[in-house]
Amino acid sequence: MEIFSSGKLSKIKNKGASGLSKQSGFPSPATHYAEPSVDLHKELIANRDATFYVRIDGDELSNYNIWDKDVLLIDRSLAPKKNDLVLVVIDGEFKVIRFPKVFLETEFILWGLISYIIHYAR
Amino acid sequence: MIALVDCNSFYATCEQVFRPDLWGKPVVVLSNNDGCVIAANKEAKALSGIPMFEPFFKIKKLLIDNNVTFFSSNYTLYGEMSQRVMNILSSFSPEVEIYSIDEAFLDLSGMKHFSMNCYGHQIKDTIFQYTGLPVGVGIAPTKVLAKLANKISKKRVSENKGVFVIDSEEKRIEALQWADINTVWGIGSKHSKRLKDIGILNAYEFTQLPKEWVRKNMTVVGLRIWSELQGKPTIEFKTVPSPKKGIGTAKSFGKKIEDLGMIQEACSSYISEVSELLRNQKSCATYLQVFLHTNYFSNHDQQYSKSITVTLGIPTNNTFILISEAKKALNIIYKPGYRFKKVGVCLSGIIPSNYVQGNLFIPTPRWEKNELMHVFDKINRKYGKSTLFSGLVGTRAKEWELVKEDRSPRYTTQWKELLKLKTTKN
Repeated sequence: MEIFSSGKLSKIKNKGASGLSKQSGFPSPATHYAEPSVDLHKELIANRDATFYVRIDGDELSNYNIWDKDVLLIDRSLAPKKNDLVLVVIDGEFKVIRFPKVFLETEFILWGLISYIIHYAR
Repeated sequence: MIALVDCNSFYATCEQVFRPDLWGKPVVVLSNNDGCVIAANKEAKALSGIPMFEPFFKIKKLLIDNNVTFFSSNYTLYGEMSQRVMNILSSFSPEVEIYSIDEAFLDLSGMKHFSMNCYGHQIKDTIFQYTGLPVGVGIAPTKVLAKLANKISKKRVSENKGVFVIDSEEKRIEALQWADINTVWGIGSKHSKRLKDIGILNAYEFTQLPKEWVRKNMTVVGLRIWSELQGKPTIEFKTVPSPKKGIGTAKSFGKKIEDLGMIQEACSSYISEVSELLRNQKSCATYLQVFLHTNYFSNHDQQYSKSITVTLGIPTNNTFILISEAKKALNIIYKPGYRFKKVGVCLSGIIPSNYVQGNLFIPTPRWEKNELMHVFDKINRKYGKSTLFSGLVGTRAKEWELVKEDRSPRYTTQWKELLKLKTTKN
């Protein structure tokens, strides 16, 4: 069995508050050019209060480039133009369609416009 | 002018937004722990014989027989959807008073050059487009009249399409004559019964009463409503919510519990919740009430209920002090041998933190002065609720916690619970 002598305990000295640069050495030339890092939320979401997320389950929408496990961003504040991808309700079920040029025979209710498709690349 | 915007059958329609298969069908939402029906959409209300606030187990069969879809309450979802609605409203007026989770007053006095009817429709249509939630809009010169206009907007839907404006003397009188006295905002059942006894049946007749009579019999509160109904604004606009006078929480246990330790854990957890609210509004509580009861609806259980109020030596919002006080209080009212259904806590005598007076006989413990609670809250805000918690809340399975069997996914706040779209070939 070893015995350690504890020696004298001394308080760790606070070497300057972290986060504050100590004025030692040359100040960073970038200080005045600092900007916040890019924020995906800011880029992808124009209207937070009208944006909803949908997770895709299945590969059947591959012709729209929508794959299994993708996340759709639905912005309900945007009015669709022709050929936009939209989430609609047909007979009480969600469906993804291209916004038609002419009226479809089947009746649908627009739920929202698909503004982005988030796809996991691996 | 003032607008009152409120969501139609808010909880139920929040559920329906994400469930198009339920559009146009009856939907109800149950209270915490599936106790009773607390919200029903208009399709469910139209089915006569579905009583609100009845214990769920009594009407479950009735709901199923009528093809009513029922949900456990999903307050996370409703809160987030409410936030969206309020944000959208604030783009329509610089002054928004959030009155409850699903209604808000808007000060439209700056919009003199707009057609109020058009503006109302614009508000309604924008909220529906952005969130899928239907709302009703009432616009009038005072809050009480706006509330009334809102009611009318929903009553004659084909005519008003969810928006009603009281902007002329004729419309005001017509609205007042339409409103049964007990539907007027701020007139309680006691006063309305009394008014009916003397032959006052609608709001118009009420406004014809002499001012002195109203003041004498219904105090200054009644007088305010009387003036507001005449079109004279007397109820101020509160854009900053007034601090709560009492904060409490009580939830039924997931199952009946006999064990004191388990009840203490539930109680400590509720205290943690309410004391956090207290700190958020920078106030302290003077009194702490703890109550405990068995299941009133059970015929075969022995019944017991007891409540106790503790006066705190020094008003506080410190979770640890409050938990230890609550624990002492529970020890006093707890009786072994009963199967308890609910424990609840209520903090009252609420005063701003900076008005707290010391107590000559109770020295403030040193650890209360320090920044502990501040750091505690900061960490929980950063890393999520209950990252740090009092040991008295316990770490074992929370058997007392809510059973939310039929809760819908938290579509808007949890990545794992997003709206799922099963794809099929088009």
